[in-house]
Parts: sequence; structure tokens; C-alpha cells
Amino acid sequence: MIETHDLTKTYAIDGEVAVQALCGVTVTVGDGELVAVMGASGSGKSTLLNLLGCLDRPTSGAYRLDGEDVGRLDADRRAEIRSAKIGFVFQSFNLLTRTTARENVELPLVYGGVPPGEHRDRALAALAAVGLADAAERSPNQLSGGQQQRVAIARALVNRPRLILADEPTGNLDTATSRDIIGLLRELNRSQGVTLIVVTHDPDVAAQTDRVIAMRDGAVVSDGRPPASRRVGPETSP
Amino acid sequence: MTLVAAWRALRRNLMRSILTMLGVVIGVAAVIAMVSVGQGADASVQAQIASLGQNMLMVVPGATTVGGVRSGWGGASTLTVADAKAIEKDCPSVAAVSYIKRDIAQVANGNLNWSTGIQGSPPSYPRVRDWPVVSGRFFTGAEEDSAAKVAVLGATPADKLFAPGEDPLDATIRIKNVPFRVIGVLGRKGQTSWGQDQDDVVIVPFNTAERRLLGTAFLGTVNMIFASAASSGEASAAEQEIKHLLVDRHRIAPGAEEDFTVRNMAELFAASVMASQVMTRLLASIASISLLVGGIGIMNILLVSVTERTREIGIRLAVGAKARHILLQFLVEALVLSTAGGVLGTLLGVGTAVLIGRFAEWPILLSPTAVAVALVFSGAVGLIFGAYPARRAARLDPIIALRHE
Repeated sequence: MIETHDLTKTYAIDGEVAVQALCGVTVTVGDGELVAVMGASGSGKSTLLNLLGCLDRPTSGAYRLDGEDVGRLDADRRAEIRSAKIGFVFQSFNLLTRTTARENVELPLVYGGVPPGEHRDRALAALAAVGLADAAERSPNQLSGGQQQRVAIARALVNRPRLILADEPTGNLDTATSRDIIGLLRELNRSQGVTLIVVTHDPDVAAQTDRVIAMRDGAVVSDGRPPASRRVGPETSP
Repeated sequence: MTLVAAWRALRRNLMRSILTMLGVVIGVAAVIAMVSVGQGADASVQAQIASLGQNMLMVVPGATTVGGVRSGWGGASTLTVADAKAIEKDCPSVAAVSYIKRDIAQVANGNLNWSTGIQGSPPSYPRVRDWPVVSGRFFTGAEEDSAAKVAVLGATPADKLFAPGEDPLDATIRIKNVPFRVIGVLGRKGQTSWGQDQDDVVIVPFNTAERRLLGTAFLGTVNMIFASAASSGEASAAEQEIKHLLVDRHRIAPGAEEDFTVRNMAELFAASVMASQVMTRLLASIASISLLVGGIGIMNILLVSVTERTREIGIRLAVGAKARHILLQFLVEALVLSTAGGVLGTLLGVGTAVLIGRFAEWPILLSPTAVAVALVFSGAVGLIFGAYPARRAARLDPIIALRHE
């Protein structure tokens, strides 16, 4: 599904000082995997996610998505890839305000060239899949944080992408809701076979995944199964 | 789809959208109202001049000096019936000639009386002046030759001497106490551009006027000769021919002051058409400035909107929107604002023009062309001033846009 080779990203600040956010990341993620990317802030995990999500282009290195070299594509082609293959879930939900849940979920269909006649049914089906069939006509400010994140997940799902990228999806949620959301993401990964990459700094979230890629200073420092103790141990974080 | 999205985005900030639109509304309304006023003035000036006859040349006696006393133009009796006939015969660019001799006299019908212009003219007069008789007929050559006591009324004495509904035809009126039979009434011609009521006249055969009404002191002289050029293109040629002929006939030495003046209506017409067109363009260009200001208002508010909605743009880009989708969204918003403003402005402009016409009693001419141009222009204003904010929105980096607070 995902193959990167020696991916680097350098930001120029004020056109002078160069900050190297990624220095040579080589990872492979197979179809249907559930992967956590962990690291402190500034470790380059968000930069990696932006590159994997085709929101940005690497400074050097190669990125193949589904066998297609997508690292050098222009903005419009990357938009097409995002539309067809990738769903995003963000820490701050990023729903359009004063727009109903259903319309938020319809958004990727609008840009994905899906015939308008199918929008409503597909959006409602996606909302039903995240357990929000009743809330379709409510606007985000009438929904709780957990419900908003479910709407965002429905939006990520609605175009039937092969890959879902979640950037701190539980960062703004309390512990119980976090567990629900992670449960939902796991469930989607299992039942629909969608590849899921979750960026998080929460060990409890990472413990729910099959594989943890740890990053520091723009490089991968470890890649493997999550620590066993975290997977079954009692809840310890606040 | 985009239209619906644009409509929603505008409704979200309803007050702001209305105020933004107001700039265009006022601009378009100003253009339409001003052009209507300008074209109305234009049309009324043209109509006034056309009422004199567009191909018309008027010859009036000029200023003369007799024994050191100078009289103003029209004061001398230097033009004669023979001059008029010579013009008709010898000037190839002149199609027809008529002439008048006039005075002011009291006209009475029963117990009603009215002081009006009594004018003697040959039967060619209505044709040369392009002034039709609307009821009855004009007098014939036979009536002219026999100095018949028949009269044709202008619209004003017809109104003043006869009660409403009373038919003036075949009535007997008294001019200077001489009884005349009314045989026709002329159509209404209105005022001249210098404010004289052309309809305040009673026309009798030229011979009748000379012999029975105006006295024989200046027998054979006329107050004015009317010549109509064969076409409006030949008016200048006709003017030159008449001048040469009269200089010759009146034996005026080269360089001496002419004892007549030729006034060319075609030239007057062209000059006033030019003047009122300049006026209309001036009004339209001043009004266009307010349309421009309206456009700047749209650009301003869209730039604010792009900044406010940076995060929304980021979300749309992340879920697969291309740059052109974002560009289109903001352009459509600008277009909706400006064309809605254009439509409302058209209504307001037409309304204002009609009100100006009614209360200020100015002549108003609503031109469909002006309305169409103003509408197209308002759309163009939306496109032009929406382009920059829309491009800014479309060029946003999705990552930076998503992080925007």
C-alpha cells in the first residue's frame, strides 16, 4: 500500500534558515494494516502524515502509494489522489460549521465527481456506519466532541478510500470517548480492510494498534509491535 | 451546486452581503438613471429641432443701416416674394420654398377672443414645414390667387377660441373684425428650442393677408423665407446657393454686410445632438465611478471572507477539492453579489428615472441598451474584482490553511 524511500522534508523559514523536519524516512505499510506513529511534538510525525496524505510534497526521496509514484505530482493530481484514495481525520475534527452533519459527510462526494443523486444516500449510510444515523441533520455545534469526531470519520469513509490517516484523533476527547473512537477506527479497519495510520502521542491509543512506528528528530527510531503490557494493562493515564 | 454553496455563504453574513451589494446597486442605479436623464434631454432637444424641420433653412432679413440707424435682424423688409421664387427656381439643392408675412392681431369667435400671430403664407407652407393639417384642409392655389377669406388655425387658437368639443371647422371667426371661414386645424408642433409656442398662429392665404389684414405699406415683402433642402446632406450646399443668389439679387458689394441671414437647421441639429451626447457620456462616466467603487467593495469583503474561511478552504482541499473548485466558489460568490446588485440596481435606477421624470418633469428616455450594458458591466465588475480574492483562496497551501485559527 505505502512505500517510502529516504523521504526528507526541509522547510525554509523566512527563506534563510532551513529546518529539516524529516531526514530520510523509509517505511512500508501493507494493505489493511493498523499502524500508530508516535513521537514527541517536533519529531516529524505530522510532517510524515502530510506527505503520506499527499497534502505536501517531499523535498527528496520517493513515495509510492498503491504502486504509483505520487511524490512528484502537482497540486491538482494530488487533490485527485486525496479524493479517490485517502480519508482524513483530524484532532480538531475540522467540520464545516453551520453545515449539517450530512452535508459535511457529502463534501468529499462533491469533489470526487460522484453523481449528486447518490450523495444523500451514501452520506446517510456512512453516518449509520459510525452510529450517527439520527444526527444527520444536526450541525456540528449541536453535537458532542465524540459525535463530531464520528461525523469526521464518516466523512473520511464516505468516498470508500483505501487509506485513512488520523492525526491525533483523540487529542481533544476525554478518555472514555477516546476509547470509543479508537474502537470505531479499529472496527472499520477490521471489517472493511481499510489501511489506517494513526498519529498519536498517547500510549493507550498506540497500544490498540498492531504496529507502532516511533519517531524522533525526523527519523524513525523503532518500528514494531506495541509493548504487550500496554495492550492489556489497566487504564493508567488520566 | 456551486451556486447553492455561494448563496449559503452569502446568507451566512446577510447584513455584510447586503451592504456589499449596495455598492453595486447604487452604481448600476446611478448609471441607468443618469443615462435616462441624458438621453431624455437628448431626445427632447432633437424632437424640438426636428419640429422645425431637419432639412430646413430659414432666411430672415438681416441688420441694415438706413441713414445711420441700425435695425436688428429681422427688422428690415429686404426679402421679397420674388426672392423666394428665385430661390425655388435657381437653387438646385432646394426642394421646396415657402414664406411668411406675419403680425400680431386680435382674433374673435363669438364672445371669445385671443391675440395671436396672423400669418400669410402660400399653399406650400405645410409641406415645407412638414406640418400636417389634422382636421379639414389647407387652402388651395385658387384661394390664394383670389385672396379668399379662409383661415387655418394652429392648435393654440383652436383651443382658446373654441369650447372643448366644439368643432372649429366652418366656423366664422373675426380677424381685425374681418370675417374668415375656418377650413382647417394644424397638428400640434410644440415649442421651439428657444421657447416660442409654434402653435400660436392663424394662417391665411398670403394675398389675403397683404390685401385685407396687414396693410400694403411693404407690398411683396416677407418676414421669413423657408427653404427645405432636397436631403439633409444637401443643407450646406443649399445654404451657399441661397447666399450667392441673394447677394447677387440684392446687389451687395463684395465685403459689404449682407442684408439677410441664412440659418441652417441641419447644422443646429448636429451641434445640439453632439452637445447632448457629450452630456450623456459625461453623466454615464461619473455614474460608472460609483460602480467601480462598488466593485472595490466586493473585492474588500471577499478578501476578508477568504481570511475568515481559510480553515474551511483547508478542509475542502484536504477532502479532494482542486484549486479551481475553490477559485470557482469565490468567483461565483462575487458574481452572485454583483449580478444581484445589478438586478436590484436596475430596478432602482428605472424607478429613480421614472420619479425624476414625474416630479422634476424632466424628459426621461429609458434605454434598453443602457440597462443591458449596466447589467453586463455589473457582472464584469464581479468577475474582475472577485478574481484577485478567488486566486488568493485557490493558492492557499492546504496544510497552512488547515492550521489556520
